[in-house]
Amino acid sequence: MIMSSSNGIEDTIVLDRIPEAGIRGEKILSSLSRRVQSVILNGILGLFSITCIFPLVWLFYSSLKLKRNFNSNIIGLPKEPTFENYIRIMTNPDYHIWSSMVNSARNTVMSVALIIFFGFIVGYILARIRFRGNFLIKVMFLLGLVIPVYSLMVPIYVLFSRAGLSNKWFTLVIPYLAFGLPIAIFLVDGYIRAVPKELEEAAAIDGSSFTRTLFQIIMPLSTPILVTIGIIQTFSCWNEFVFALLLLKRQSIQTVPLAMTQFTGQFSSDYPKIMAALLLTMSPIIVFYFVFSRQIIKGMVSGAVKG
Amino acid sequence: MLTAAIKPKKRVIFLYLLIPMAVYIFVVFIPLVAAFFYSFFEWKGGPNKTFIGFGNYAALIKDTTFWESFGHNMYIVIACIIGQVGLAFVFAMMISSRLVRLKGIHRTFCFFPNTISAVSIGFIWTMIYDYRRGILNWFLKLIGRPDMVKVWLNEPDLVLPLISIPLIWQYIGFYMVIIISAIASVDKEIFEVAELDGANGIQRAFHIVLPLIKNTLLVCVTLCIAGNMKVFDHIFVMTAGGPGNASNVMAMYGYKIAFDQQNMGYGTTISLAIFVLSMTVIGGSQVLVKILTKEKETL
Repeated sequence: MIMSSSNGIEDTIVLDRIPEAGIRGEKILSSLSRRVQSVILNGILGLFSITCIFPLVWLFYSSLKLKRNFNSNIIGLPKEPTFENYIRIMTNPDYHIWSSMVNSARNTVMSVALIIFFGFIVGYILARIRFRGNFLIKVMFLLGLVIPVYSLMVPIYVLFSRAGLSNKWFTLVIPYLAFGLPIAIFLVDGYIRAVPKELEEAAAIDGSSFTRTLFQIIMPLSTPILVTIGIIQTFSCWNEFVFALLLLKRQSIQTVPLAMTQFTGQFSSDYPKIMAALLLTMSPIIVFYFVFSRQIIKGMVSGAVKG
Repeated sequence: MLTAAIKPKKRVIFLYLLIPMAVYIFVVFIPLVAAFFYSFFEWKGGPNKTFIGFGNYAALIKDTTFWESFGHNMYIVIACIIGQVGLAFVFAMMISSRLVRLKGIHRTFCFFPNTISAVSIGFIWTMIYDYRRGILNWFLKLIGRPDMVKVWLNEPDLVLPLISIPLIWQYIGFYMVIIISAIASVDKEIFEVAELDGANGIQRAFHIVLPLIKNTLLVCVTLCIAGNMKVFDHIFVMTAGGPGNASNVMAMYGYKIAFDQQNMGYGTTISLAIFVLSMTVIGGSQVLVKILTKEKETL
C-alpha cells in the first residue's frame, strides 16, 4: 500500500481533499512529535558515538595516572596528571614499544609502497593487454581474495623458516605484499577500464614507449585509486597480527601488535602503563584518521565493497 | 584492450609481471599446495612425517572440540549479522533522518574503532571486563548491583556473548557507512511522498528502504560472514579460547594444535577445513537468501 504511493500525482489529489483545519491541527501535533523524535534520535546516536570514542578518552586520562591512583579510582580524572608512564615506556628499551613502532612504520611504508607499485602495474596489464594467460592470472589473484590467511598458517610458517626468510627485518613485507596485491589489482583494473584507451594510443603515436606511458601518463591519472589502496593497506599493515606472530620471534624486529601482547603479559596489573603503551602505539593511526577521516572512510568502504 | 600496434613486447609484459607473480605464488600458491600435502601426514614438526592417508580428515570429523569451535564461529557470525549489520541499518536509518544533527561527527566517531588493531581492541575490552579494575564491574557497583560482579571472561556461559560485543562494536561503524551511502543513493522523492502518505520512520525503513538497498545489505552480510569465520586476533588476546574451550574458534583451535601442541599435520587439516567451511557457509547463505527473496517475489 505504501509502495503504491510512489505515484506523486495521486498524493496531491489525496492531500487536496483534506480539510484545512485538519491540516493545522496535524501540524501542531506533528511538530511536537517531531521534537520528541529528534531528541530520541539524536540521543541514541550521540550515546553510541560517545561509546565509540570513550575508550580513547578513558585510555588517555587514565594513562596520566600512576598505578595506585588508578587502582583506587578507575574512572575518575587524574588528580595529579603525570607523563611518568610515557617517559618510562619511551626511555626503557627493554619494553620494545618504541622499537616496535619503528619496525611497524618501516614495514608499513615498504609494504604499502610495493603494493601500490606492483598492484598498479599488474592491474593495468590485466585490464589493457590481451595475452595468453591473462584470464588465468586474474583468476589466480581472485582466489587470493577468498583464501583466509589462517588456512595457510602452517605451510607459510614452514616455508619461510626453510627458506631462511623468518625473523628478518624485511620478512613481513613479503606476505603483506602478497596478500595486499589482489585487492589492489582489482581496484586498479576496475579504474583503468574507465579510462579511454585513446589516451595510450595517442601517446604511442607521439612516440612514447610502453613504460613511459605507463608511469608518466597512466599513473598520475590513477592517483585517486592509488590513494585508496594506500589508505586500506596502511591500516591493514599497521594492525596486522597473525603473520607477525608466526614469522617473527626476535624481539628487536617485532611489530606493534606483537610487542603489545608481550608488554601486557609483563605488566598485566599495571593498567595505566598498558594504557599509555596502547595509546602511544595507536597514536599514528589516530592522528592519520582524524586528519583525513573523510578520505579514509570513503577509501576503506569502497575498497571493501568492490573487493 | 590495446590495439596490436601499440601492444608492448611479450618480454616486457613478462618482466613486469615477474616479481609480483613470484611473490604471490610463493606466499599463496605453494603453501596452498603444501597444505594439502601436509594434511595427509602425521607430523609433529620434526624431520619425520608419517603418511596416514585420510587419517587427519577422519580424526577431524570425529573431533568434537573442532565442531564445538565451528559452532562458536557460527554463534559469532549470527550475533554479528544481527549486531553489526542489523544495528548498522537501524543507526543508518536514524542518521539519514533530517532531524539528526552532527552527522559528520557521528560518522567519524562510529567509524573510528574500525581503524584500531584487533589486538588493541581486545586489550581495551579485557580491561573493561576486568574483575578488580574493569569498568563493567565498576558500573554494576555504581548502580547498586555488587552481587552481579563477576570475573566476566571466566564464565563459560557468558564468554561468547562477551567476546561478540567488542566485535560488533568495532565494526558497526563500517557497515553503517556502507548503508548510509546506499540510503543516500535512494531517490529523496520517495521518502517525501511516503512521509506525506503517513508512513512513519519504521514503516519507511522496512517497506521502502530495505527492499531498495537489499543488494548492499547482502554484500554487508557476506562480508560479515567471511570476516567472522576467521575471527582470531580478538580471541587470542582476550581469552585464548578459554575458559576450557568455551570461546575456542576454528582459527584459534588450529593455531593451538599446530603451534602449541606442535601437531602440524593435523593443524594444517584444521586450517584447510576453515577454508572449506567458510566457503560453504558463505555459499549456503547466498543460496538461502536467493530462495527466500524469490519466494517473496512470487507471493
